[in-house]
Amino acid sequence: MKYVSVEFVKLQRSLSWAVVILLPVIAVASGSMSSVASDGGLDDGWYTLWIRSIGFYGMALLPVGIAILASLTWRTEHRNGNWNALMSTSVPTSAMVLSKAAAVAILSALMQVVLVLTVVGFGKIAFDLPGMLPGRYVVSSVLVIIASVPVAALQSGLSMYFRSFAAPVAVALVATGVSTTALLTDMTAIIAVPYATATYATQLGTSLVEASNTACDAAGISAGTAGLVAGVSAAATTVIVIVTTWTLNRSDTRA
Amino acid sequence: MCGTARLRDSGDMDTVIETSHLTKRYGSRTVVDDLSLRVPQGCVYGFLGPNGSGKSTTMKMLLSLIRPTLGKVQVLGQPMTRASRRGLLRHVGSLIESPPGYGHLTGRENMRIMQRLLDLPQRQIEWAVDTVRMRDQMGKRVRNYSLGMKQRMGIALALARQPQLLILDEPTNGLDPAGIEEIRELLRSLASSGVTVMVSSHLLGEIDKTATMLGILSEGRLLFQGTRAELMAASTPDIIIESSDPRSAQSILGQQLDCRSDGRTTRITNADDGSTAQAVSVLVHAGIDVFEVRRDEQTLEDVFIDLTKGGGL
Repeated sequence: MKYVSVEFVKLQRSLSWAVVILLPVIAVASGSMSSVASDGGLDDGWYTLWIRSIGFYGMALLPVGIAILASLTWRTEHRNGNWNALMSTSVPTSAMVLSKAAAVAILSALMQVVLVLTVVGFGKIAFDLPGMLPGRYVVSSVLVIIASVPVAALQSGLSMYFRSFAAPVAVALVATGVSTTALLTDMTAIIAVPYATATYATQLGTSLVEASNTACDAAGISAGTAGLVAGVSAAATTVIVIVTTWTLNRSDTRA
Repeated sequence: MCGTARLRDSGDMDTVIETSHLTKRYGSRTVVDDLSLRVPQGCVYGFLGPNGSGKSTTMKMLLSLIRPTLGKVQVLGQPMTRASRRGLLRHVGSLIESPPGYGHLTGRENMRIMQRLLDLPQRQIEWAVDTVRMRDQMGKRVRNYSLGMKQRMGIALALARQPQLLILDEPTNGLDPAGIEEIRELLRSLASSGVTVMVSSHLLGEIDKTATMLGILSEGRLLFQGTRAELMAASTPDIIIESSDPRSAQSILGQQLDCRSDGRTTRITNADDGSTAQAVSVLVHAGIDVFEVRRDEQTLEDVFIDLTKGGGL
């Protein structure tokens, strides 16, 4: 925890906070507006608002957002003599890897919280929807937070390894595109890939593509799907953290 | 010499850094070549060499920031490896290449990060900040610091852990003369309190007066290692002869010795006492009047330049 708290000291006055707030707000706002523009309103109330908000978010904004957060988190370490200074301390390599991954995972969790709050805000204030956001979307959001952890760990590892800010973000974009396509074409094994796990989790309890008969379309929130997301996320995170720690421990600082 | 008072009770700790056959190659390019360094405890070790001679690479290997291609590093009596480094680095402060610091944070926040990372007591942070005279700058963001302030804060970050060994790579780079003097003062006072300091520079003058031991590096090879007196002794200054006919003197002596003339004097390089006496005798027999024979006055700077230019003594 000590090392994670240090990461948040470093995140003071960071652009990360703007990303955490802006990305979900943009997702919900653009989703609502496109509903209003195409259908003249939210036909099925909270359901429509949620799938319109989470659809594009889960398939692009979430992984790219996590990638940006990871790059922002590592960017300061690649500047000045910070890399040499950090690597010349007694802080265990695994703690460096874990604390960064945890910081990125916490930021992405906050992003999901902002998303839920924004959906509620839009639903109640802008659209005056009856009742409250159904509980299953809150459950689904918890699963999204869990599924974001391996993506955070993986992106953190990439941003650690590559000094470039954009390269890891591009990796996230391409990987998400590929995994979303695979999900749509019923390649369920792809769920083991972190980007696909995250996208899969965001689409639980929604219809990814309405009136089609894909696997994602059928996936609802159940103990089975929740267990799948949690289990796959835990396994992937473990592997990623081990590989990242091993890589960092073996890599040399640039000449 | 260095830290003799502390040597007695420290057993095998009298050498703080020891490398054997330390070598780093990048492809076919050898950056550090078969280096055997020995840094005694409690000294200021001046690690000298022109830019690109391999000083930074060597220091990075001492800290296990990069792994050697060949050879071994011992720090504080233990082998420095990827497995042992975290334990050893607890006692080693360093500043390599550009000074560290999170630019968007204040000096105080930067110090707090180091404090939390390493579980350091507040008094150590205060001591480090006071030692580099940065107390008044702690509220400013690091990106607004001058280079000198960044260097000093980098040193404070390295000092905060109260290291037994401090490795500083060109800490005087970009500093004004007053700043350089301040760093010298700091290194002297640290050494007198028992901290071993290894400091690199491409300018002898910057650490000449501070260093008690010198290591001179050129093109990755160690040309010299020892005290300043040993360095002076290792190099033979030219013999200068003033005579009635310098040009004839040069042509006569030039047959046997490496000598040149500037029209007023004759200068013989690499002459020992025997060849000096012989030269005088030859000139006298040739009917040239010898007015004065003396050794050239040689500064450490001259020795350093000779060494690094010629690649050896």
